[in-house]
Amino acid sequence: MARKPVKLAWGVRREGRSLWTRNAVRGVSVRGERRKTDSRIEWRSWDPTRSKVAAALLRTNGDPSRLLPETGSTCLYLGASFGSTVSHIHDQVCGSQNHHGGQVVAVEIAPRAMRDLSELSCHRPGLVPVLGDARQPQTVAPYIRSQADWMHQDLSIADQAKTFVRMASVFLRPGGTGLLSLKAASERSSDGDDDSRFAKAAKILRESDLEVAERINLKGLEEQHVVFLVRKTVQSGQ
Amino acid sequence: MRIHYDWRLARVVDSDGEVFDELGWSPKRSVRALADRLSDLQSGRMSPEARTLSKRFPDAEVNGMAAMSDPGWPELEAEEQEMLSEAAAILAKRGVADAAADLDRRLDMLSSAAIELRSSWTTSEARCIEWAGLFLAEADLDGQRQEIPAAVAEAESIDAAAAALDVAIPAHQPEQVEWVALNGHAVGVVALAERLGVAEAATRELARQYVPTLSMLVGPLGAARLVVLAGGRERLARMPSGSLQVLGTRGAMAAHRRGAPSPKHSPVLFSLPQVSRSPRWVRGKISRYMAGKCSIAVRVDHFDGEPWGEEKIAEINQECVNIRERFPKPPRR
Repeated sequence: MARKPVKLAWGVRREGRSLWTRNAVRGVSVRGERRKTDSRIEWRSWDPTRSKVAAALLRTNGDPSRLLPETGSTCLYLGASFGSTVSHIHDQVCGSQNHHGGQVVAVEIAPRAMRDLSELSCHRPGLVPVLGDARQPQTVAPYIRSQADWMHQDLSIADQAKTFVRMASVFLRPGGTGLLSLKAASERSSDGDDDSRFAKAAKILRESDLEVAERINLKGLEEQHVVFLVRKTVQSGQ
Repeated sequence: MRIHYDWRLARVVDSDGEVFDELGWSPKRSVRALADRLSDLQSGRMSPEARTLSKRFPDAEVNGMAAMSDPGWPELEAEEQEMLSEAAAILAKRGVADAAADLDRRLDMLSSAAIELRSSWTTSEARCIEWAGLFLAEADLDGQRQEIPAAVAEAESIDAAAAALDVAIPAHQPEQVEWVALNGHAVGVVALAERLGVAEAATRELARQYVPTLSMLVGPLGAARLVVLAGGRERLARMPSGSLQVLGTRGAMAAHRRGAPSPKHSPVLFSLPQVSRSPRWVRGKISRYMAGKCSIAVRVDHFDGEPWGEEKIAEINQECVNIRERFPKPPRR
C-alpha cells in the first residue's frame, strides 16, 4: 500500500520512513540510490543511514522542515566528503540547472573525495567545490557570495563545537540555521562517556551567539552521533 | 578605518560604513586569472587591490572576512557567479592533481602496498609449502623452505619437482587439474616475492631520502610506517613522543580508553630488536626511550636539521643495552 507523501520543502518529501529529493539531474544517481518518477517529477532516495542530515530529519521531535535550507538560498557545507548529502541539499536549494539561483559551497580537505565532488559539480551548477581546510575562514571566504542562510558542519576532528562556533560567527547570517553533526569518537579526551562529550559541546554552543533549538539523537541510524540544530541570534553579529 | 576586500574589489570603509576609496579588479578578467587569485586569497594573501589600498591608508585595519557581513557590499552579478563557479572547478581539479606532489601521500601508497604485499605473500607462501609438502612427504619443510616454491613453479610435474628438490617421488599423484592449480599457485608465490622485493626496495629508498635520521634509527621500512601511521611527516614531527610510542596500537588504545592498562609500544617499535629481544620487564622502558629519540629524529628530518651520523646511532643503541643491564631481574610483584 502506497503511503501518502508528506512535503517537507519544495524539493524534499517523506514517505513513511523514507526520504526523497527532487533530482536536479534527471536519470542520474549519485551513489546508486533508487529513483522513481511521480507525475513527471523524478525523485531520488535520500538514505538516512548514510546522511546525517537525512537521519536528523527523521529523528527530530519538531517540524523537520526547520532543518532544511530554502530554495535559492546560500548554503555552506563543511566536510562535504564524497558529496552524497551535498547532492541532496543541492537538489533542494538549486534545482535543475540552478533555476532557483542558489549557491552551495562544499568544503572538503581530502583530494580523493574532492575528485568525486568536483565531478558532481560539473553537472550541478550552483554547487561550488572547495578543496581546503574547513577550519580556516579564509578557505571559504573567497567563494561564498554572502553570509550563509544555512550551514552544516560534519568534520571528524577534535574541537568540533569550537570550530563550528568560529565558522558560524563569520559565515552564518543572523537568523540563519546551522546544523552541527557531532561525532563523539572524534573528541580527543578519553574521560567521560559520549553523553558528557555531547554536553560539553552543547555548553560551548550555548556560550556563543548561537541558540540551540534542538539536540537530535541519531541512535539507530548513526551511532555515537548527535545533530545540534542552532539558530544565530538576530541582534548579534558585527 | 578598515579595508574590506574580496576577489572583485577592495574598499576603505569607516565605522559608519561610508566608502572612502575603492579599487576594482581590471575589467579584463579571465577564469584562469581568477583561479590564481582565489588560490592566493585562500592561502591568506591579500588581493593586489587591497595591498595598494593598505599602502595608501597604512593605518586602516585590513579584514578579509568583513566583506561577508558588510551590508553595503555589492552582490555578485550572474556573470561573476558563473565565472566564480568555473574558477572553483579549475582549482578543485588542480588541487586533486597536485596531491601527487605530496611525498606523504606517495610514501603512504608505497609503504601500504609493501605491507599488503608482505601479508599476502606470507599467507600464500605458507599455503604453497603445506600443499607441496603434502605430496612430497620426504621434503624438509624447514630446511628447504626457500627452494620449494621455485622448484614447484618451474617443474613440469610433481615428479619433476621432487627430482629438483632431491626427494623421493610421491606415493600418490595429484590429478592433472590439481597439479595445474598447485603449479600456478607456486608461480604466483614466486612472482609475489619479486613484487614484494621491488616495493620494499622502493619504500626504503624513498624513506631514506624523506626521513634519513629516523630511517637510520628504526630502519627505513619502520620509519615509513611511522610516517604513514601519523598521517604525514609534519604530523609525526609535531607529535609528542608519548603518542609516537603507541602509534598503530588501535585495538590496545581502544581497550585502554575502557580501562585496560596502557599499551607499552607500537608494532613498529616492538619490531626493533632492541625492544623485542629484550626481557619483558624492560620493554616499556626501552620503547619509551626509543620513542623519545624517534620524535627528535623526525624533527631533525622535518625541520631541516643536521642528520645524525653512525656514532650518534651507536650511542643510542648502547643506551638501550645499558637500560637492559640496569634491570637484569624482573621486578618483584
